[in-house]
Amino acid sequence: MKPNRNSIIYAAVFTFVVCVVFVVVLAIANQVTLSRVNANKKLESQLAVLKAFGLADGTTPVGEIDSKYTQSITEKSMDKATAYIATIDGQTYVAIKLTMPGLWGPITAVLATDPKGTIVRGFEIVDQQETPGLGGRITEPWFSAQFKGKQTLPDGTIAFAQGSGKGNLDPTDGTVDAITGASRTSDFVKALVNKELALARQIGGTL
Amino acid sequence: MSASSKVFKDGLWYNNPIFVQVLGICSTLAVTNNLRNTLIMVLGVTFATSMGSLTLSALRELIPRKVRMIVQVLVLSFYVIIIDIVLRAYAPTISKQLGPYVGLIITNCILMGRAEAFAASNPPGLAFLDGLANGFGYGWVLLVIAVIREFLGFGSLFGFKIVGDGFTPWTIMVMAPSAFFLVAIALWIANNYKAKAEAAKKGAAAPAGAPGAPAPQKS
Repeated sequence: MKPNRNSIIYAAVFTFVVCVVFVVVLAIANQVTLSRVNANKKLESQLAVLKAFGLADGTTPVGEIDSKYTQSITEKSMDKATAYIATIDGQTYVAIKLTMPGLWGPITAVLATDPKGTIVRGFEIVDQQETPGLGGRITEPWFSAQFKGKQTLPDGTIAFAQGSGKGNLDPTDGTVDAITGASRTSDFVKALVNKELALARQIGGTL
Repeated sequence: MSASSKVFKDGLWYNNPIFVQVLGICSTLAVTNNLRNTLIMVLGVTFATSMGSLTLSALRELIPRKVRMIVQVLVLSFYVIIIDIVLRAYAPTISKQLGPYVGLIITNCILMGRAEAFAASNPPGLAFLDGLANGFGYGWVLLVIAVIREFLGFGSLFGFKIVGDGFTPWTIMVMAPSAFFLVAIALWIANNYKAKAEAAKKGAAAPAGAPGAPAPQKS
């Protein structure tokens, strides 16, 4: 007997079956690739930490990231954040990876500094969901480059200001250019950076 | 002309998704400032349209009319999520750069448009070809626009610098408004050309000076 395609029951059963079949296939595909995706995420986070410490850049081969990371960096877990300690050229540096709210979703970033939190060594965004083309520009190289070697203000913070839009590379003024057209994202990143500096000082004091 | 070659010519030119159907314009605006992202987007849309059309056409005798759109969205989004999963696992950097755009393939009207206009009433093989042809038809227009935008906006193609440092990039080309006027210009040129080709055809069929023959056009 041919089922009546116009009956409500047929429509409901058909929709249900089709949904189940396709969703099950997707769930399987997701499960199969899960370990790979997680490995990618781990590498990405390791690379961001290495970049913040200035130990790697965009040209570092993927195969070397893991060995380089395990060689030079010690992890220390904190309440809600992760601290990383590395000794570079006889000097100890501290980095903090922290996740804080952004405009559309959480922003995760790594900030490396000296243990006293006076000179920033590097800053890298690990993950963000800001508006592409506006707030999303926090991932652009010129934005993170501003933090390299930046001295913090006397109160231990970094200020965000309206600038030329090309980045503020003056190491002494404790100020970076905010993102044009993304005041809210800039505020969130500012809060994140300064919280990371405070945490770095906290960890740095115990070394 | 066989059915499959007609389907292909329609997708690439006579019924081009951008020029004639004017579908998928949102993604044309969003991704064409960079050739690499454009290429990935085109491949994603082509894959999703062709596989989606194939599946929906195979199921067309079974799908109740009342819920056909729900089923279309479900099947098409299934393929889009598959693309997303594959990119995340095997091409993480590209996946990260494309960000939300991969998921947004589902909002591309070409997918639903072809599913509803063609796959719902044609056999699977032909529906697959139609999806492929529309993907390519969409693709070549997008790539042409992306070449212009990336070249003028960054002075590069596929990220490789083409012109020297003396070149001042056209910032407007990086931003969405440039896609608006480039798409409009492309539409204008294509439709103008098409209108002339049709007029010439009619002119050849009817003797010159006969009533109804179009006036000769200045070029």
